[in-house]
Amino acid sequence: MSATTPLTTAASAMPPSAQPRTERSMARRERWRLLRRRPGFIAGSVVLLFWVVCAVGGERVSPHGPLQTGFPSSQAPSGSHLFGTDQLGRDVLSRVMAGARDVLLVSPFAALLSVIIGTLLGLIGGYIRGIADEVVSRVMEAVLAIPVILMGLLVFSTFGTSKTVKILTIAFLFTPIVFRTVRSVTLAEAELDYVTSARLRGEGPLYIMTREIVPNITGPIVVELTVRVGYAIFTLATLVFVVGGGRPEEPEWGNMVSQTYGLIQGGTWWPAIFPALAIASLVIAVNLIADSVESVYAS
Amino acid sequence: MDWKPFDRARATVGPEGLDLIESYSKGRINRRDFVRRGTVIGLSVPFLGAVIAACGGDDDTTSDDTAADGGSDTTPGTDTGTEPADTGGATGGIIRVATQKPAGPLDPVGMQDLGTYGIVAQCFEFLTTLGDSEMSPGVAPGLAETWESNEDGSVWTFHLRQGVKWHDGTDFTSADVAATMDRLAEANNSGLNGVIEAGSVDASDPAVAVFTLLAPNGNLPYLVSLYNAQSVITPVAYTTGTTLDASPNGTGAWKLKSFDAATGAEFERNPDWWGPAPALEGSVWSFFDDEGSMVTAASAGEVDTLVQFQFIGGDALFNDDNFTVNSFQAATHRQIWMRCDTGQFADPKVRQALGMCIDRQALIDTLFGGQADIGNDHVIAPVFPYFDASVPQRERDTEGARALLAEAGFPDGLSAVLHFGELQEIPELAQLIQAQAAEGGFTLELAGESLDTFYGAQWCPGEPADPPCSGAAELGIVDYGHRATPDVYLNAALSTGGVWNSSQYSSPAFDAAFADFSAAIGVEAQTAACKVIEEILLEDTPVIVPYFYNYISGFSNNFTGVRVSALGQMFLDQAAAA
Amino acid sequence: MTRYVLRRLALSIITLFLIILIVFLINNVFPSDIGRRLAGPFAPQVQVDEINEKLGTNDPLINQFGRLVKGVATFDYGDSYAQNRPVSDVIGQAFWRSMKLLVYALVLTIPLSVMAGIFAARRHGTVPDRAVVTLGVASSSIPEFVSSVILQAVIGVKLGWFHVVAKAPDGASILTQLSYLTLPALALVIVYFGYIARMTRAGVIAALDADYTRTATMKGLSTTQVLRRHVLRNGLQPTVSVVGVQIGYVMGSLVAIEKIFNYPGLGLTIFNAASKDPPVLVAGVLVVATVYMLATLASDLVLAWMNPRARLEVSR
Repeated sequence: MSATTPLTTAASAMPPSAQPRTERSMARRERWRLLRRRPGFIAGSVVLLFWVVCAVGGERVSPHGPLQTGFPSSQAPSGSHLFGTDQLGRDVLSRVMAGARDVLLVSPFAALLSVIIGTLLGLIGGYIRGIADEVVSRVMEAVLAIPVILMGLLVFSTFGTSKTVKILTIAFLFTPIVFRTVRSVTLAEAELDYVTSARLRGEGPLYIMTREIVPNITGPIVVELTVRVGYAIFTLATLVFVVGGGRPEEPEWGNMVSQTYGLIQGGTWWPAIFPALAIASLVIAVNLIADSVESVYAS
Repeated sequence: MDWKPFDRARATVGPEGLDLIESYSKGRINRRDFVRRGTVIGLSVPFLGAVIAACGGDDDTTSDDTAADGGSDTTPGTDTGTEPADTGGATGGIIRVATQKPAGPLDPVGMQDLGTYGIVAQCFEFLTTLGDSEMSPGVAPGLAETWESNEDGSVWTFHLRQGVKWHDGTDFTSADVAATMDRLAEANNSGLNGVIEAGSVDASDPAVAVFTLLAPNGNLPYLVSLYNAQSVITPVAYTTGTTLDASPNGTGAWKLKSFDAATGAEFERNPDWWGPAPALEGSVWSFFDDEGSMVTAASAGEVDTLVQFQFIGGDALFNDDNFTVNSFQAATHRQIWMRCDTGQFADPKVRQALGMCIDRQALIDTLFGGQADIGNDHVIAPVFPYFDASVPQRERDTEGARALLAEAGFPDGLSAVLHFGELQEIPELAQLIQAQAAEGGFTLELAGESLDTFYGAQWCPGEPADPPCSGAAELGIVDYGHRATPDVYLNAALSTGGVWNSSQYSSPAFDAAFADFSAAIGVEAQTAACKVIEEILLEDTPVIVPYFYNYISGFSNNFTGVRVSALGQMFLDQAAAA
Repeated sequence: MTRYVLRRLALSIITLFLIILIVFLINNVFPSDIGRRLAGPFAPQVQVDEINEKLGTNDPLINQFGRLVKGVATFDYGDSYAQNRPVSDVIGQAFWRSMKLLVYALVLTIPLSVMAGIFAARRHGTVPDRAVVTLGVASSSIPEFVSSVILQAVIGVKLGWFHVVAKAPDGASILTQLSYLTLPALALVIVYFGYIARMTRAGVIAALDADYTRTATMKGLSTTQVLRRHVLRNGLQPTVSVVGVQIGYVMGSLVAIEKIFNYPGLGLTIFNAASKDPPVLVAGVLVVATVYMLATLASDLVLAWMNPRARLEVSR
């Protein structure tokens, strides 16, 4: 999955200029003001907020427990079960709501981890260059040349599908993409006067990377982070769908679809379609937010 | 009543036959079971018919059949598998078959899954084969035309069909039978293990195969039938590990034309087959990884017949006017095994408590739409003629379960991991058990995995090898396919040292009861032995058996005469385009 | 230019070597009894040992890796463990099946999404523009397994317009094959429409704003002429590079789609080989990676052809 291109273009469009600290905080306030005025950002945030409430609230906000069985099975949506019941007599709405928890725990963590590692490696590659850059770049390219779903499939089928494995796998798969972005913007930054002058002042590479370059490339990094969250949700759902999980009762969206999509053509569409729509709604919401963040940084 | 046939019978049938005729004439077994048992011990169908007529059996011909086939959902008249092709539809044509993808190589000795059984049984045949229809599920003459045993059932003689040729043109003889049986004995075939050994079959007369058994066994004709899927007769030239696609051969009605492990197989008519010429020219088999796509393909008319499908996800076909669903009672079941020798389930009270948590009727309704027989934690399925229904049914009682757990030293309940392989309805079963057991104090964590690893990692790991399966997980669900007799279940899964004994159950009382069952001659003796077995297993509960479910297959109404066994072997020789 | 291509190809070989290493390592983290998996849980241990012996799965890992690399280098992948035939047969057939699906999907997607992108860009800021953008975000946000399932249920089963299994009977004509492939191809169209349309739109908007466009308009060229001569040539460059990258990623989407439509292509083959057929797995992953690298290389070359300045950049 996961096209990476929109952000690389956005990233290279970043004005690569060194800004004093006060100017930066003013710019941050200005960006926040712009962001709030974008309808896409508002809509995305509302949907995201809904899922966050579901995830945090758990059984306090859902009508039933996600594992509770005993309702009549395969009932179509109705007043008593808004999303119907599944083939095992569980309330689909409660399961879909509970499913938000896993995805909102795993995806941001995985995205954050990939951004941290990718940024570190990208700084090394883009600033220090040399043999380290060559080695890291080659390995990253190799990982990138295998489509994420195939790579994830390999990892999942070897290590299983626990939460930790999921987070590490997604982080592993996305790191090269972050690396590529950060490396290219760092390359551009390293040519600039403020870096040269810092070097002439006798600052070490560690200082220059963390104190000088990073503050000037937060834009691409933030954009990368929001975009990665969206792809993490998408990729995880697909991987879980393809590989399946060891714990079938878990109300996980990809799992729910893979267990019930076979029922659709028999007329029982609700157990598969609602979690599918949940995935789509959350990815669209995060992508809308990411789009807004990206264009605010670009303007 | 006309007693004359019995006088004649006394002159022609052995002790087993007499016992059977008496059981039937006194009404202790029904007509269906009479025919089934009769065919197994080698009585001809006309002879059985004469006995039925003599007993005045004509009056209940139809009612008895339908009642006996209780779970059937088939519209009467569509299940006419007995109709010969030449009187039925048009000749010619190809039927498109959908089946689950074979899980391994097409090795007749080593195969273990329905997908492979189905392919292999297109080319190869059994000594005894599917009865005329599921209405009389006894065995019918296959490569053996007739068979009989000595007094105590320890020596069986099979008279082979003459003029049968292998697809490569050579003659089929008793040497092929002996070579096949030797291979099965060496591979510890689950059905024949302990029954024969290498060299048990005498092939000195090419037309006769004489089996000298290690111990008397009244069920041998079942053990060399399609119900022991690996017992297909393969040529002398085969060795363990030879696969059908590498060395295509067979005696059957169909020749393997092409095979691709990823996509499917094609068969063409064998013009030299010994039986009546099939109407169809051949068949095209498509392999599916996913049951959902298989059912979808059938509803969309992309395939003509499904070897097997599940109730969950198959509902579309039940309501499809262009499709005939064929559902029949079988012994297929799931065993929830609990380690009896060590761990939290070593105390029988804990095992009984888990059994008492299970709401069996709810499982059957949810998972099978009611198309299953209720299980009572023993392996004697209601489909078997010697099932004893008088043993009281274990009912759900979560309060009782908690009380038993407390007695066993778990006043706050206990936690365990429930292992299972991802096969058919088993993941769903695991989820329902998890929910039901929670109410009785069990906190079960589910751990599913692919069948590729499940059997070897959780069920019967290779190490430690002695006793077998002693490396099994504490708690798990394993699948058992249909068998015509419970011997394999009793022997492999529950006997002390049994090769599939994942619960490590070891009970001298049970072993003795099983020996009694094996040696029992005649329905009454077998039923009596089964009653003891049922009671012991219910009390000890080494495994929970929640249900025995119906085998469900189906075919498009564009075809007639498609027959299938509960082990996925499809018989197309009488099939024709409607 | 030639030097650039040669350098790229040389780097590709290093990448391929690293891919083999990565796949091999993941596959061998845990000791797996391949013989047992192949022979099944009930086969006698003797038979299992025989298989392991024959395949050399008990040899030291370094030897196994050496054999693997040597096999790849000499284009001799050996025999599939699970199927009794050469890996090249297994992968070859699967590859052509997947390519048919892929090409069909691209033939449907590219014109549709490029036109939608241009359409939106020329109406930049209006309601139709926003509609295209929203549609694009939405369609690329729906995982392909979700859209496949819906397409199958609605168009395949309910309406009965297309086949719900993707593989046509053997020997079917190309048209028949395409009709079987339509639903899975549509699922791919839905996923990739969004990316390509949005990329095209962004590129064309930028090109419309550019100085050369203004100059051309001032010179008095008609809108169509400006569009054809200047805007598209420049504005479609991001599209070309995204198509290149996407061809690689499509191979990943194939796993879920081929599973749902029961199409024995590369995705399904790799999926099935994941736990028990290392030669097929490695060969399959390598084929996918090669396609990916060739596609990106091709798109870079097309870019260079479209834009001489890029030629300088790539040869840097």
